[in-house]
Amino acid sequence: MTPEKVALSPGSPAPKPRSNGTPDNRLAAELTRALGPKKVLSARSERLNYRYDAIQFGETPLAVVLPETTADVVTAVRAARAAGVPIVGRGAASGLSGGAAPLRESLVISFTRMTRLEVFPERREARAQAGVVTLAVTEKARPHGLIYPPDPASFRTSTIGGNLGENAGGPMCFKYGVTGDYVKGLEFVDAEGEVHRLTRDAYDLAGLLIGSEGTLGLITEATLRLTLPPKHTRTLMASFPEVGEAAEAVSAAIAAGAVPSKLEFMDTACTNAVEDYLAVGLPREAGAVLLVDTDGDDLETVEEERALVEAACLNAGGTVRRAGSDAESAALWQARRSVSPALGRIRPQRMNEDIVVPRSVLPDVVREIRALGDASGLPLVQFGHIGDGNLHPNILFDPRREDVHAVHDLAHQIALVAIRHGGVLSGEHGIGTMKRPFMREAVDPVTLGALWSVKRALDPSEALNPGKILPDEDEAHAHP
Amino acid sequence: MNNEIPVSALGPQGEVMAHAVDACVHCGFCLPACPTYTILGDEMDSPRGRIVLMKEVLEGELPLADAAPHLDRCLGCQACVTACPSGVPYGELITSFRGWSEPQRERSAFDRAKRAAILKILPAPKVFSVAARVGQYAKPLAPLLPAALRAPMDLLPERVPAMQPSARVTPAKGKKRGRVAFLVGCAQQALTPNFNAATLRVLARNGIEVVIPEGQGCCGAAALHTGARDEALRLVRRNLDAFDPDEYDAILSNAAGCGAGLKEYPVVLHGLPDEERARAFSAKVQDISEYLNGLLQSGDLERPMPTSRHLTVAYHDACHLAHAQGVRAAPRQLLKAIPGVTVAEIPEGDLCCGSAGTYNLEQPELANQLGIRKAGHILSTTPDLIASGNIGCHTQIQSHVRRQGSRVPVMHTVEVLDLAYRGEL
Repeated sequence: MTPEKVALSPGSPAPKPRSNGTPDNRLAAELTRALGPKKVLSARSERLNYRYDAIQFGETPLAVVLPETTADVVTAVRAARAAGVPIVGRGAASGLSGGAAPLRESLVISFTRMTRLEVFPERREARAQAGVVTLAVTEKARPHGLIYPPDPASFRTSTIGGNLGENAGGPMCFKYGVTGDYVKGLEFVDAEGEVHRLTRDAYDLAGLLIGSEGTLGLITEATLRLTLPPKHTRTLMASFPEVGEAAEAVSAAIAAGAVPSKLEFMDTACTNAVEDYLAVGLPREAGAVLLVDTDGDDLETVEEERALVEAACLNAGGTVRRAGSDAESAALWQARRSVSPALGRIRPQRMNEDIVVPRSVLPDVVREIRALGDASGLPLVQFGHIGDGNLHPNILFDPRREDVHAVHDLAHQIALVAIRHGGVLSGEHGIGTMKRPFMREAVDPVTLGALWSVKRALDPSEALNPGKILPDEDEAHAHP
Repeated sequence: MNNEIPVSALGPQGEVMAHAVDACVHCGFCLPACPTYTILGDEMDSPRGRIVLMKEVLEGELPLADAAPHLDRCLGCQACVTACPSGVPYGELITSFRGWSEPQRERSAFDRAKRAAILKILPAPKVFSVAARVGQYAKPLAPLLPAALRAPMDLLPERVPAMQPSARVTPAKGKKRGRVAFLVGCAQQALTPNFNAATLRVLARNGIEVVIPEGQGCCGAAALHTGARDEALRLVRRNLDAFDPDEYDAILSNAAGCGAGLKEYPVVLHGLPDEERARAFSAKVQDISEYLNGLLQSGDLERPMPTSRHLTVAYHDACHLAHAQGVRAAPRQLLKAIPGVTVAEIPEGDLCCGSAGTYNLEQPELANQLGIRKAGHILSTTPDLIASGNIGCHTQIQSHVRRQGSRVPVMHTVEVLDLAYRGEL
């Protein structure tokens, strides 16, 4: 698909490969006929922008549909099925595992215009179409005294459909859980173009769809559980000379009975990247920083819990700073939310891990990963929802400077560290294409076979987001 | 994202563009900040999408004409720059790209004539004043005119004031504390001469001598951001000749767009002979609010008189002040320094009002949608007064607030301060 390069000079005539305007393939033409030109992108300049997510570039899709209703999704799925073209669902494409980037020429269904959102305060529920931006749910619920807790770092951008597809988490998940814990029911369109409405009784098929990354069905709408916000929140920041000490403090604090609402960790490269962007006064010299919120309706308990965490941090060799105001606390949390993209200041690309390990082994795991990074010579940073044991080691690289094979090797070694310590490959970002190569080591063959059976039951022709999550079946069978 | 932009063939501006493209990690944090993405909901009309489109054109993978409609819809508000944790200099990218691509654009004769007229009239205050007067009298005919001519007329005030030429030197009153040079600006001299008059009064009152160097002209931002790079370079060099940074404590502008333009000179001249001179010049450039807030913070600003009654001032962040120059606190501090004033924060405050230089004239429909939205948000704060620091925002907001039936005064921040000094607030 790469045409000849055209060398450019100032004032040189614009290169003129291909032309814009009319659909240039049959699927795009058929969709435009069925849905009208406003809901279908068929020009190459438009389609080009639907081949990536926040981690990788894939193949340019044959057509993009921007549905406004579930019926539009059904029409699109049936047209793609008739044309034998795979389908990739997409929200705001802020995902970090390659989930929304098509691996083959596909139909991309982008949900950003399905933004109907209703709040039912008496039932403490919201009904959101797939394209509703995550933050909008809480914004609409707040006047009724309610909030929607799941808060992935990208919550200003990401959509509910994307959150469900990846079962997104966020800092709040330690105490309050991940997206899947707030789903009461959902509507989805299957690979045949049939609409299903699921609750969570009988077989928890909704639970199966959550985190399936668009490989089992396309979620079009969800009924979400809302909760009361805690009356009081207290924030503290602790800095440590070394990453392992921060992990020790976490284990000790939780062992002592603290249940912070957020317990986040950033290593020195993270704090410096963010400080370059926001300048909120993070300790640049620290080897690791912990950010902690305790919350609840009883101020005394909230303060006691903060004191427990504080003591654990001091014991582990840390220095503690309490946020003096809501504004200071908000600035610290904005800093944490900016970590992932701020790393772009160090290298333009990254390999993003999303491992979860038992909290008891956290100090060993972060130290081992740090040592692997140092030995590799590649820029490696660690941050994550350490309260959950959810770590995001990121290998930063520039393919023009660093060997991509070395990057993959290091990623593999990190995945093995997690597995060796009884951990798993994904806490919240999904498997996508990034961690698919490690699945066979992380999941036993019998279980993998069960996953394949589910996939075959719901998507027999493998039309939905092919090449994601599950390693090739043939290979799986080759290793019984 | 990695690029294969043929930098050597593109020259110094190619480096600027390639660097910006490389810095983008396509995370999407810019999406909710972008006014056109907010309205249109598609990826091509987002900053992330536009970066990909520019990259593809520069690499020779996509015809310019295919990318152009989406790039033309960018307001250049730079809200995405504020939102971007990776530090992508998007403003530099789109400006350089427009300069590079404009000579290759295929435009209709009408389009070319319109652009040429805008770039001739806007930077020439006297011509602009005459044009504005003609427009003012022609206003009743507006419904009969094509949209392209109607848009500028909608923005004209009901009464175009007489020009008020400023003195070349305004002496400091009382103890002299400093000496600054002042860029008088273009359109605002004709539309709102009191902006400059108030600026000179406030500075003089605070012991600052103000010089209006001869030979200065348009900052060049309008030309630069519409892709007329050669014209922009001519204007930039003319100002570098007119202002000697060593002679002044600061070079001041009271129009956010112009101030941002002046601060951009080193990027415009990147890799060209005058780059160092541009750096020395732009290091001295400050917005009027930054400079006055400097005096306030060091205790050197004369205390304004209390207002006659409690006033809620809705402060609107001009994109070229908040996003391009990063000046947010200074104007708020100045307003809060007036006893009796409360500053109201406007919902969705980071979203552009739709004015954006010549955008109003080139994309009237989107500009109008944004104007309606902005005016609604501003009025939701039930203000007694609306303040901002940019002529473009001023005309846009005034026009939309009036259309929504409100008579609330719209002023420059420095006008509010000036009135407070005179006990007229």
